[in-house]
Amino acid sequence: MASSLIRHIARPVLTTSKGFLSAATHRNIPSTLVLLRRTQATAPPGAAAAATPNVPAPSLVRVNVEQRKALLDFGQYVAECLPRFVQHVQMTSTNELEILIHPDGIFSVLAFLKDHTNAQFSSLADITAIDVPTRAYRFELAYNLLSLRFNSRVRVKTYTDELTPIASVCDLFDAANWMEREVWDMYGVYFTNHPDLRRILTDYGFEGHPMRKDFPLPGYTEVRYDEEQRRVVIEPIELTQDYRKFDLSTPWETFPKFRNPIHDDSKKANAPEPAAASGNENKK
Amino acid sequence: MASKILKATTNITGLAVSKDPHYALKLLYGKILRDLKKIPETSVYRKYTEDTINSRLAHVENEPNIARLERKINCGQIEEVIVQAENELMCVRRMALNNVWGPLIGQAPPNQWKWPIA
Repeated sequence: MASSLIRHIARPVLTTSKGFLSAATHRNIPSTLVLLRRTQATAPPGAAAAATPNVPAPSLVRVNVEQRKALLDFGQYVAECLPRFVQHVQMTSTNELEILIHPDGIFSVLAFLKDHTNAQFSSLADITAIDVPTRAYRFELAYNLLSLRFNSRVRVKTYTDELTPIASVCDLFDAANWMEREVWDMYGVYFTNHPDLRRILTDYGFEGHPMRKDFPLPGYTEVRYDEEQRRVVIEPIELTQDYRKFDLSTPWETFPKFRNPIHDDSKKANAPEPAAASGNENKK
Repeated sequence: MASKILKATTNITGLAVSKDPHYALKLLYGKILRDLKKIPETSVYRKYTEDTINSRLAHVENEPNIARLERKINCGQIEEVIVQAENELMCVRRMALNNVWGPLIGQAPPNQWKWPIA
């Protein structure tokens, strides 16, 4: 297994979005990855946009194929270098690389992306979370990284639930400090080894994690100034107007695969029943 | 000791001009290659890192002129290359500790990554 099998072929220079040809540095990813086998992580993702010849393109969006291929190559490279943690690699339709990993590996993967010569993602742009209550691990954490050297971005995604803590990356990125505090405050995801994990956006005595899907829009409490006690008091919420729910739907089709509603049978069975509490507008 | 003409500044705050970049780079690359040996040979990370470091080391050994060396390595100024080498050294040590070449720890639960969820 001679190391000379892999030649570092000069890759074509990437054009930036404005078409300006720059002599920017490009990664030394060998274009002939002969010794790699396609692992499960790099199997063709279902979410990637693939233009089939029979379906006409719905819009005039031009996909930068070179940039997409370069990012996908890099994603495959990461998956092969870190097989212990990387579960899947996928690309969005707007040429964004996403690396989906097991939560135990978050520190190692981010350290690799920050320190490795071919990666050099030294800037942490954002840490966010998504709440999908129907999943077993309801929170999906997304770390957005930027490489100044190679002018590219990558997203690292993991999952966790309400009670499972996840390693903090404050030792790697200083920006992670407040970002993780925000995720803790808004979602309740606990970070181990965080130097200072406390609330950052909510009020001082606030209870609850507002960005969770089961937290209502107006919240549970309201504040007002009480003349008798001469201070601000926190009381259970009392809206002067009932919360109205509007069943608005856009005129454009958003999900072509889901044209037929899934719960058609149950709707037909319940049709004669009276409509629910006031304020609902039935669109069907 | 031969006097060298050093460049005036790197134009990067906090990054001083290196007085002997060849020595620093050879030292760091030697350390990296030695630490890489602790990772099993089957690891892809070890393979590619060795390739990268060996090619850079070859450039460093063959090119005494700093400006030409920077252009050959093509990754920014030589001081930045030294910083990259330091980072790579930390990366190698961390990867060796965390056993990153092993099989996947665990799969995600079914439908964990499914989007749209319906």
